[in-house]
Amino acid sequence: MYSILKPCKTSAAFEAIPRDRLSLDLDQCEEILRNVCTIVTNAGILLIVNDRCEVSIHKDGRLILKTDSNDLAAEQAARIAGWLEGTPALRKPPQSTRPGE
Amino acid sequence: MAKLVSLISGGIDSPVAAYLMLRRGVDLVAVHMDNRPFTDEKNLNKTLRLIRHLQNLTQRPIRTYVVPHGPNHIAFARNCERHLHCLFCRRMMYRIAERIAQKEGADGILTGESLGQVASQTLQNLMVENQVIRVPVVRPLIGLDKVEIIEIARKIGTYEISTLPSLCCTIVPKKPSTAARASDLHDEEQKIDLGALIEKSLGGMYVLDPEAL
Repeated sequence: MYSILKPCKTSAAFEAIPRDRLSLDLDQCEEILRNVCTIVTNAGILLIVNDRCEVSIHKDGRLILKTDSNDLAAEQAARIAGWLEGTPALRKPPQSTRPGE
Repeated sequence: MAKLVSLISGGIDSPVAAYLMLRRGVDLVAVHMDNRPFTDEKNLNKTLRLIRHLQNLTQRPIRTYVVPHGPNHIAFARNCERHLHCLFCRRMMYRIAERIAQKEGADGILTGESLGQVASQTLQNLMVENQVIRVPVVRPLIGLDKVEIIEIARKIGTYEISTLPSLCCTIVPKKPSTAARASDLHDEEQKIDLGALIEKSLGGMYVLDPEAL
């Protein structure tokens, strides 16, 4: 689900960008994730802690992973994607099409 | 001697603004709004290093307060229009800084805002931010561009500290308002108990000694 991991400008975190356009229902994400990790807060973005890594989950599916380790960020992003994929928390909005396409 | 409450983040601009006013002989009380959990502890650490640097540079003591601001972000994000979030945040900072100014006998608030640099720093936004307080806001960087500010930061030695790794505020909306209307902000703020939030922030405030780092 997450194909790109790039450091933030400030280098103190990594950003995971969804390969496809996504829309997350953060309330449903919270319900699902509370069984597997710690929920810090759900307020416009969902903050969780998993294996001592803090992750901000945005409605558009972006993840901000507070870690200095690229490997840990990739591992965490894959794990979160696995937990959410195929659940009602995750929707893929229809791609906009132009006339003639 | 004039005294100002200086809102200081771990960024580039606010330490430069603080330096310029210290150089003019103004006494400063520093206030750092702690945005955790939407930032990380590195921001606080950077801020304290910056204040320590300014103290050493100017040989002037700077009393430093840290105010928890995370719960305010949560209240606004849960109850109010998302695209106005940065405005709510700044109006809250001003209100809290004003209260600290009263407590410290300060004459106003000092910020590192420069016109148009980010979404919250348009003239219209600055005007609606000002409307929630009665004390003057001093903005020595208002007419400088980023290159000019960085030049001063390099000269005074704060740039290297300000650009250390840290996490930007993660609760910033995707499309922040650049031209907020006072009536919209006022209506949205009615959805939460502002007074209680301010009291809670001030109740959680603590003094930190940058030299103790």
